Amino acid sequence: MGKRIVITGMGVISPLGFGREAFWKSLLEARSAIAPIQGLDVSQYGAKLGGELKGFKAEDFLGKKGLRYLNWGTKMLTSAVKLAIDDAKLEATDEFGDKTGIVIGSALANYPQTTNYTQMAMSRGPEDLMPMESYDVALNASINFVSVWFKMKPFARTIASGFTSSLDAIADAAELLRQGAADIVVAGGVEQFSIDAYLLFYWQKMLAGQKPDGNLNHEVNHPFGADRNGFVLSEGSYVVVLEELESAKQRGATIYAEVAGQSSLYIGNRKFTEAQKIDKTSRTMRAALNESNVEPEKLCFVCAAANSSKDIDVIEAKALRRSGINAPVNALKSLTGECYGAAGSLQVVASALALKDQTIPPSAVDYEIEDGLNLNLVRKSANANIETVLIDALDPQGNASCLVLKRPV
Amino acid sequence: MIRVVITGIGMVTPVGHKREEAWQNFLNGVNGAGEVSCFDTAEYKVHRACHVKNFATPLSPDISFPQSELYRWTYAATKEALEEAGLLNLDGLNPERCGIALGTLSADIRPWEYALRPDPSKKDNGLTPDVVPVYPPISITEGLSQDFGFEGPQNVFINACSSGNHAIAYAFDLMKRGRFDVMLVGGAEPVSQTEFTHFHNVNSLAPERCQPFDLNRKGLMIGEGAGMLVLETYENASRRGAEIYAELLGCGLSCDGHHMTAPHPEGDGARRAMLSTLKAARLSPDVIDYVSAHGTGTPLNDKTEVQALKAVFGDRATNLPCSSIKSMIGHSMGAASALESIICCMAIKRGIVPPTINYETPDPECDIDCIPNQARKLSVRYALNNSFAFGGNNATNVFGRI
Repeated sequence: MGKRIVITGMGVISPLGFGREAFWKSLLEARSAIAPIQGLDVSQYGAKLGGELKGFKAEDFLGKKGLRYLNWGTKMLTSAVKLAIDDAKLEATDEFGDKTGIVIGSALANYPQTTNYTQMAMSRGPEDLMPMESYDVALNASINFVSVWFKMKPFARTIASGFTSSLDAIADAAELLRQGAADIVVAGGVEQFSIDAYLLFYWQKMLAGQKPDGNLNHEVNHPFGADRNGFVLSEGSYVVVLEELESAKQRGATIYAEVAGQSSLYIGNRKFTEAQKIDKTSRTMRAALNESNVEPEKLCFVCAAANSSKDIDVIEAKALRRSGINAPVNALKSLTGECYGAAGSLQVVASALALKDQTIPPSAVDYEIEDGLNLNLVRKSANANIETVLIDALDPQGNASCLVLKRPV
Repeated sequence: MIRVVITGIGMVTPVGHKREEAWQNFLNGVNGAGEVSCFDTAEYKVHRACHVKNFATPLSPDISFPQSELYRWTYAATKEALEEAGLLNLDGLNPERCGIALGTLSADIRPWEYALRPDPSKKDNGLTPDVVPVYPPISITEGLSQDFGFEGPQNVFINACSSGNHAIAYAFDLMKRGRFDVMLVGGAEPVSQTEFTHFHNVNSLAPERCQPFDLNRKGLMIGEGAGMLVLETYENASRRGAEIYAELLGCGLSCDGHHMTAPHPEGDGARRAMLSTLKAARLSPDVIDYVSAHGTGTPLNDKTEVQALKAVFGDRATNLPCSSIKSMIGHSMGAASALESIICCMAIKRGIVPPTINYETPDPECDIDCIPNQARKLSVRYALNNSFAFGGNNATNVFGRI
């Protein structure tokens, strides 16, 4: 593997809290962010629950200047990056920008703003749009904005690989560090609540409460649950600071976790049977563990992708079993909902905090688990000796991606 | 050390829907500009763009998104590239060691525009059930994975105008680390009202034609198309006895970290992208025979690109052959740098380089050899491909003769 890459800072803008401490406290208390959707008018649609950000004000993190024309996603991401840089005890100076790159995963990125802009152009005519209204228009504008705000020089990259976007971004960031493309990489994900995102999943009948025949079920957010029937949409931005172990040690940084291994395969082919998807997911898990020199039966903790979907949860549970993994499993999305492109980074932050605190956070599981999944699901927070974590990200139409974090030694 | 080579190429462009037709038209200096046809430009100051016209290549009816123009182009370019590489069925390969990386700026946004246009005030923002399957950017690579049997990971890179080169750089890194044997890479982009409005409203569009490096250049023209390349390990390609276009020798990324829409005034990020590419490939600037310029035709881009070329190549910059195919097919955004990577590979293989057309009046600030108006026979051993995106997001790569 060559260079060893570690996490030295975390930034969180989550429905469960702003900043890593507030977020971790909510996780340990198993506080749920799921509530009836307020920010969007979904009165004519069936799915009513969401995991929305509440009370977020970017000026609390970025000061008042220069924020006026920024959209919601850009504000979330820039704030999360600022929190991560502060948490890593780095200063956002010119020198910092010279050696720091950024890789962000987002399935839809700034699509909602981009489409709003076109909607305005179509209704009002192009001449009626202010130049500043063009400022934040491009799917990757929020990542560009961060690179400009922090004067980042090595690179700025946006990866959109559906539900695995931000886990793929963090894996890519580690690769870029290993080959020396930067000294520090800020990596993570951002995803916003929008009517676009909502309808994208609603029309595909993927949201909680939706039956394939178009009728409505009782709407629940129950990862691995017997009565699960779709996921609850969420939003947020989760960012980590990555650097080489040696340089982190040299500057006396707090080291949360080491990024030890990764793997990814495509599982979305409609011709694949469920058994094939389980097999491929299982081999992805084992490849990531193998790269990390972790034996499946010795793995300490799994931070699961399960999001209350019919298909994904069963594939994940059976793939874990197939891989010989018996470690405790946390279903984080039972608290947050599914923030799709940003989900992998949410899991990475929670897992790194679990390693740091040597505590497995609980899942909000007071419901019946599907028969035959044979999961060791964590229901109460527990102190434990955690050396290794497996993080899964699964996209029913796309990739299975896995990342392994280790306790720093 | 693992070497990465190009064994197949496919493209759908405003000057040709197949590789050889497009290449010939590039060499002939055919101008692909015309009237915008995908929306009514009556309220705009500019009415022209470079469309893929009358695309009628027969495709299998069971492709993933037969209703999407963008997907049909990308599918056709992919098929052409895989056919040429002899890998249409990935015969003899482990499909899990074959992945996909694609660049785009707006992805398949046009079906959404069509759906919204009749009533832009719609509360559902035009997100109809018909639009939903192709709306997320990842739909393109999911379709390709599905239709061509790739089982390695698939990723989309959204890096505005350098997206294609970002995708190529990503694939290159993974292959160098031994993770994959074959990567299908490239870019795809439609002309959309969204991006047309965006560039129109920051006064970047040329009214009539695209004139890179000309004193009277007036801006860029929006273009569209798809360009796909098959990257393969040298070991794999030689084992199969595949014909090789060129070797991908290095990729370099940089970021201006300067401004959301304007390039760095001295082309600092562009300079660093070129230098880091050459460093990665362990090449001296002296050996580069041809540069495929970013060359958008905007007053600022071309001037700063020339400054950056001078910073990298010194005195050689003024006579180093360096052309921009954007003069012919406009700026196809997320597809542009993939198509320009193709130009570099074909120039190396065929010993001829395409011109910069519409060139009339030299600009003292752009005193380079832009191969004005006529293709030129040139022995190209090493070719450098620049792409510099809005927001200062730069990605360059370099190809060499095998």
